[in-house]
Amino acid sequence: MIHDFSVRSKPLAPTKPTFSMSKDNSTQGPILRPHEYDGIQEYDQKLPNWWLFSWYITMVIFVIAWVAYYQFGMGMADEKEIDTALAKIAEYQKKELELISDDKLWEMSLDPKITAAGAATFQTTCVACHASDLSAHIAGAKLPGLPLNDQEWKHGHAPTQILTIIRKGAPDLTKGMPPWEPQLGLQRVVEVTAFVLSKHQKGEPVTLSADSPLKAVK
Amino acid sequence: MNAITQKQTITFDDKVVRQFMWASILWGLVGMLVGVIIAAQLNYHELNLTSWLSFGRLRPLHTNAVIFAFVGNMMFAGIYYSTQRLCKARMASDLLSKIHFWGWQTIIVSAAVTLPLGFTRGQEYAELIWPINIAVALIWVVFAVNFFWTLAKRNEPSLYVALWFYIATIITVAMLYIVNHLSIPTSWTHSYTLFAGVQNALVQWWYGHNAVAFFLTTPILGIMYYFLPKAVDRPVYSYRLSIVHFWSLVFIYIWAGPHHLLNTSLPKWLQMLGMFFSLMLWAPSWGGMLNGLLTLRGAWDKLRTDPVVKFFIAAVTFYGMATFEGPLLSIRAVNALSHYSDWTIGHVHSGALGWNGLMAAGLFYWLTPRLYGTKLHSVPLANLHFWIALFGILLYVAAMWVSGIMQGLMLNSTNAAGTALTYPNFIETLTAIRPMMAFRIIGGSMYLIGMGLMLWNLWMTARSGKAVNETREVTLIDRGSVDTMGIKTTFLADPVTFFFGGLFLFMGWIFLPKGADITALICALIFGFLAVKKFAVAHSTWSNWYERLLENWLPFTLLTFIAVALGGLIQLVPTVMVNRAKNMEDRIQQVYTPLELTGRDLYVSEGCYNCHSQMIRTMLPDVLRYGDYSRLGESIYDHPFQWGSKRTGPDLARVGGKYPNSWHFNHMMDPRSTSVGSNMPSYPHLFTSKFDQKTLPKKIAAMVQLGVPYPIMTDVEIKENAIKQGIAIVENLKVDGLAASPDTQIVAIIAYLQKLGKYDTPEPNEALINRAAVPQLIPGPGNPDKQRPARPVQ
Repeated sequence: MIHDFSVRSKPLAPTKPTFSMSKDNSTQGPILRPHEYDGIQEYDQKLPNWWLFSWYITMVIFVIAWVAYYQFGMGMADEKEIDTALAKIAEYQKKELELISDDKLWEMSLDPKITAAGAATFQTTCVACHASDLSAHIAGAKLPGLPLNDQEWKHGHAPTQILTIIRKGAPDLTKGMPPWEPQLGLQRVVEVTAFVLSKHQKGEPVTLSADSPLKAVK
Repeated sequence: MNAITQKQTITFDDKVVRQFMWASILWGLVGMLVGVIIAAQLNYHELNLTSWLSFGRLRPLHTNAVIFAFVGNMMFAGIYYSTQRLCKARMASDLLSKIHFWGWQTIIVSAAVTLPLGFTRGQEYAELIWPINIAVALIWVVFAVNFFWTLAKRNEPSLYVALWFYIATIITVAMLYIVNHLSIPTSWTHSYTLFAGVQNALVQWWYGHNAVAFFLTTPILGIMYYFLPKAVDRPVYSYRLSIVHFWSLVFIYIWAGPHHLLNTSLPKWLQMLGMFFSLMLWAPSWGGMLNGLLTLRGAWDKLRTDPVVKFFIAAVTFYGMATFEGPLLSIRAVNALSHYSDWTIGHVHSGALGWNGLMAAGLFYWLTPRLYGTKLHSVPLANLHFWIALFGILLYVAAMWVSGIMQGLMLNSTNAAGTALTYPNFIETLTAIRPMMAFRIIGGSMYLIGMGLMLWNLWMTARSGKAVNETREVTLIDRGSVDTMGIKTTFLADPVTFFFGGLFLFMGWIFLPKGADITALICALIFGFLAVKKFAVAHSTWSNWYERLLENWLPFTLLTFIAVALGGLIQLVPTVMVNRAKNMEDRIQQVYTPLELTGRDLYVSEGCYNCHSQMIRTMLPDVLRYGDYSRLGESIYDHPFQWGSKRTGPDLARVGGKYPNSWHFNHMMDPRSTSVGSNMPSYPHLFTSKFDQKTLPKKIAAMVQLGVPYPIMTDVEIKENAIKQGIAIVENLKVDGLAASPDTQIVAIIAYLQKLGKYDTPEPNEALINRAAVPQLIPGPGNPDKQRPARPVQ
């Protein structure tokens, strides 16, 4: 059986079109347009007011926001906002750093709470290069980092020197250690330093490695 | 209307409709199967079995298959069926229909072969290589000729709203596709796009966003306008709404592209336009939804009994949801959270699975019984398909909402003082969303099963009947009564004049310097008021003009083209035309060495951009996590740009120099060895495959042609240069006890990754600093964009 789908079951009789903006047509019921397209008819209803007004509102928001930003200079440029935030962070760090000294870091390395926090950060961030036992070796294979559990140091053994390397990275970044302070924040970097120090003794004998940049200075 | 009524019996070409329908279902199954596979790969990296089955190569296959193969074929089926009936004419040329069908399938097959092999242009939804691009353009022209020729031969004087949407689709897709695929070939399988950096970003998202608009939305709206009233046997809700929402939709949609680039280094005025036009797009989109849903008034009971109506109404509801979510995501503050996250993925799937997929199902359940002169094999099975699909989508979308919002919040979270990130380790945020990734696999699989049910149901339906081509007697129209409108009556009409006048003043407001701009705004408002007053008096003249326009396909098409072309012109031209220096800000990217360029091409070919962005946004969390925010000048030589749209992994804009070569070596061999918990695939094949030295000189030549300042080098020098740099990397790896050959792909990739984020600071040039920040056409004196600092490096 093949239907003739071109004819609708019962075409509705078209109502006379009265196109009006000002007058409300709702009392007369919806207008049915006279033309039929392959059996499809169309009402010609008024646009729903809530729809129309939400559209107008989005346009008004556009105009207001644009005028506020470009005409009256309200709101800050994104770059300025970032500069302000970064300056604030730098200031905070400066204050915090004034409180930190070699002795203070050694003291922290004895605080199990601080070293535990440092260990947690170390296990997620540093083990890829320094290994979880700080040996920079996994199953005999050398990892990219330097061992941190021996007494040989490349960038200095003093706690503040270690802190600086973790904060700012190695002097030559292409040779390894990236700066971690931006990503981790100062507090976590201090904790990691305390954790590394907890594997060492204050006053233990230390040596500078052969390729240390500090040697040349000496 | 006509004194003489001449009748003719015609047979519609329903064969091509059947062909497109089956092609759509089959490709849909393939595309969604690939979708389920890559969803599983995200959670189980072991499923990246070989190089050609890895996520980065399959993801483009998934998106292209669903967009161009599934929805594409579905759209053609719907358009061919309804256009013939709305024009009361058989398609103008059976040959063109055949070329269109077979040509399109050939394109799909070639895409399915080339994408897994790693042949790509590296721009989303525009990945196909240049020979296929040409084929797509040609087949599209074949389709267009066939369609417009049928319009010209129509036996129905007036164009129905469905046809308006088809017209907009055909001309706009052609425009977008051609401009965004302009490239310089370097071999049969590789080319560089004409645009770089910000220009490329703008053109790409002008295309990408409007591929959604004019490939996935307008044709489907047209299909809705024909098949929904047919299915529910009710008049369309409002003709007036059709007019208003059609014209506003096609005009406004084009402007919204920059909302894909919010908070990036894209000039702020473009971001603002993108955001506010997206907001203004909400109502026009909902106009379509309303016209669909409210057509059902008086026939809501059909929703209970007829699976076709169920699919259509659910689809239109998803359309409404997605087009509400879209403007929401376009607000810069919301976008700061949602961009690069799974929220976007959920959003596109509520569009693709909800709107497109359910419309396709409704269409096919309606068509098949009619195309085979029989009844649907099983209504309960169709109902089961509906519920399983609906549940699948909801699970999928809800999982992506939770995942996207959670990861977005975690990535942007800082401590109370705002001095440090709460979750400094990216993997922490990835681990948190893993359960959501699992739900996505389940939701997607359910949807796929539903598609399988549909195939079975429709196949059984087809077998129970036999292919019929509808025959109908039509009344021929007097050719002299239609398509007679001249240029003058088309353009010198009040609606057109007021539109252009208003647009002109609006442009004055956006582009003129301070003082003049506010004057232009006031003039525009007064002008708008005048237009409304004029309309109140002369509305019958306006509507008569429009009814006349509907009987003239070429003027209608011309006006549509102008409406869609304007937004693109106004946004793209200032940025694309101004010279590079002005797009640079205070930094200029260092030119890639031959080896680094090779590595970059491999990066593109492996589809790394599918998971890694190279754009640090002007947002504090981004800056803390990835480094100083990206400047325009830092991607000035990037053909194509790689700013990305999703961060399954961290941003790489400044990864150069962050880790030693050995780290990258180990990471590419086994990402878990350096990043515990990573879901990145391993890339063992990079360690054995050699990179392509032969085409390297050609690539450099193309780059030079594109204006990248390479020093003059002979072919031998280029290759030597590459190998020399390779040897240096190999020597460096040796120190860490790693062995590689200098001509392997891994060496090139390492070279490229180490270059990322390297820039020079150009000589401070007074003239440049004063003018560098934004295209000169744009800013007024008080424009805050101008305050974007040209900062010295510390």
